[in-house]
Amino acid sequence: MSALPAVRRRGSRWLQLVLATLVALIFLVPLYIALVTSLDTRADVFSFPTHLLLDFDFSPYARVWGMARWPMYFLNTAFITGTTIVLALATSVLAAYALSFLRFGFRERLFVLILLVLMIPAEALLIPNYVVLHLLGLLNTYWAQILPYGVSVFGIFLLRQFFLSLPSSYWDAARIDGCGHLRFLWSVALPLAAPTLFTIALYIFIGSWNSFQWPLIVTTSHHVQPIEVAVARLTQAHSVDWRRLSAAGLMATLPLILVYALVQKQIIRGISRGEGLQG
Amino acid sequence: MESLAARVRSARTPRARQKDGWRAAVFLAPALLLLILFVYAPALLALGLGFFHYHLLGIGTTWAGLTNFRSALRYSLFWTALRNTLLYALIMVPVTLIGALLLAQLLCGPGKYVGFLRTLILLPYITPVIATAIGWLWIFNPQYGLLNSLMSWLGLPVHQWMQSPTWALPAVAMYTLWHGLGFDMIIALAALASLPKSVSEAAQIDGAGPATIFFRVTLPLLTPTLFFLLVITTIGSLQAFSQIYALSGGQGGPEYATTTLIFLIYQTAFQYYHFSYAAAMAVLLVLLILGLTLFQNWLSKRWVFYQ
Repeated sequence: MSALPAVRRRGSRWLQLVLATLVALIFLVPLYIALVTSLDTRADVFSFPTHLLLDFDFSPYARVWGMARWPMYFLNTAFITGTTIVLALATSVLAAYALSFLRFGFRERLFVLILLVLMIPAEALLIPNYVVLHLLGLLNTYWAQILPYGVSVFGIFLLRQFFLSLPSSYWDAARIDGCGHLRFLWSVALPLAAPTLFTIALYIFIGSWNSFQWPLIVTTSHHVQPIEVAVARLTQAHSVDWRRLSAAGLMATLPLILVYALVQKQIIRGISRGEGLQG
Repeated sequence: MESLAARVRSARTPRARQKDGWRAAVFLAPALLLLILFVYAPALLALGLGFFHYHLLGIGTTWAGLTNFRSALRYSLFWTALRNTLLYALIMVPVTLIGALLLAQLLCGPGKYVGFLRTLILLPYITPVIATAIGWLWIFNPQYGLLNSLMSWLGLPVHQWMQSPTWALPAVAMYTLWHGLGFDMIIALAALASLPKSVSEAAQIDGAGPATIFFRVTLPLLTPTLFFLLVITTIGSLQAFSQIYALSGGQGGPEYATTTLIFLIYQTAFQYYHFSYAAAMAVLLVLLILGLTLFQNWLSKRWVFYQ
């Protein structure tokens, strides 16, 4: 029993669906407007009231493609995102395994100390992290954009929960077969943890691909910058040509929409379970 | 069933335990190294940096005492930014809470079609902020934008939006709601789905109307979720950066109207390179976050209903 009972009566179900459709369409309007603007013929862009019908003039895409080294920015973003996912999964899996299976002195206290990381506001780390990267000589590199996100504390938490729930007969069987911890982790625990790993990877992907503030701060060289920073630069340099700007914005959005179309079910399930909060 | 971890633990001999110590150290080393470098050490540095005059080139780092904090508090832009930050949070929090509840009520229920509509509403959440803010800049355009077209069609006054000191911050909030409300809706939907049916059915048998059931039964049962949304929306509002950067062309304007504390800290540190000054302001911002969180926790005892 959740909705207003009035809304749930059979006749009003239709009203609910019509209203819900309208609301969903409103959420699509900004993307549609960007599409219309990017494909408009020059004459239509500056009209009031706003032009709302699609033209099909693809020249802004061609021109914006020539204006910056987009393949490079896409590759940069893909490399940074991919490396972050692999690194964060590896460090988090190893740490979670140690924190669930291995026996050592201060294990529970160490786990609490790691969880404390979730309480530190990101704003506090902005300036000191920059200083640390400066001291390491890593400013203006890919690594400056990867290493600070190279471990997922929330991932450690989720994986530890999962590992602790595995039945002990699995380990017994593996032991009898002469399996060590690494073998057991690799060939038994990890395949079973695949859904959890996928969820963690998904949120790292969204966070990393869309990150803007951190790359803006730690990079100045175009050669290592991700797509978001390149688009922002375009916004400032060519704030007048709306057709090209809209084309660039949509180009940068498209990969995310494609990924979303494939995995929206997992994303929604993750948010519902409260897993989608930390990257 | 005995859990695997408990079994592994109990099966260990002291010698094996020793071995585990080494293995644990190796397993934990990469994660701990990164956390020390990029969380623990910087967190300590964050507290300390404000008390020094620090320059990136490392020359002449000197003790500053409270100078940075004092000049931050005397800086009129700091207070403007604080006002903007609180105003922004004040717009975002109620609209997000009410909006998430309304959307969840509207989009609940079974069926593939409703599920598809939910997917569409969540879509903006996964889009990159800088890229999708461009479409919104066009919507906010005072001369040709959709928003003013709509306003004049409805007979409402048109505004300058991102070029108006009054309407720029609400415009940023509008973008952020478009981008994030789907996320809050999903959380509210999950809470709605987990409510016990029996209570509202009992109320219905007792003759309660739909409005009574919503306000007296559903809403109280949802308060833990509302509290959760309140906390994450507050924290999210205090962090808002990319959308402000994108919509104000990286300026925080017009007339500093969208310069929030985090934006001012960014400008001070990374455009003017006054690191310790910015670090002092960051400490003040963290204190603000801490204060607000404690206040909300204290207040929650009066209105949050735990079953």
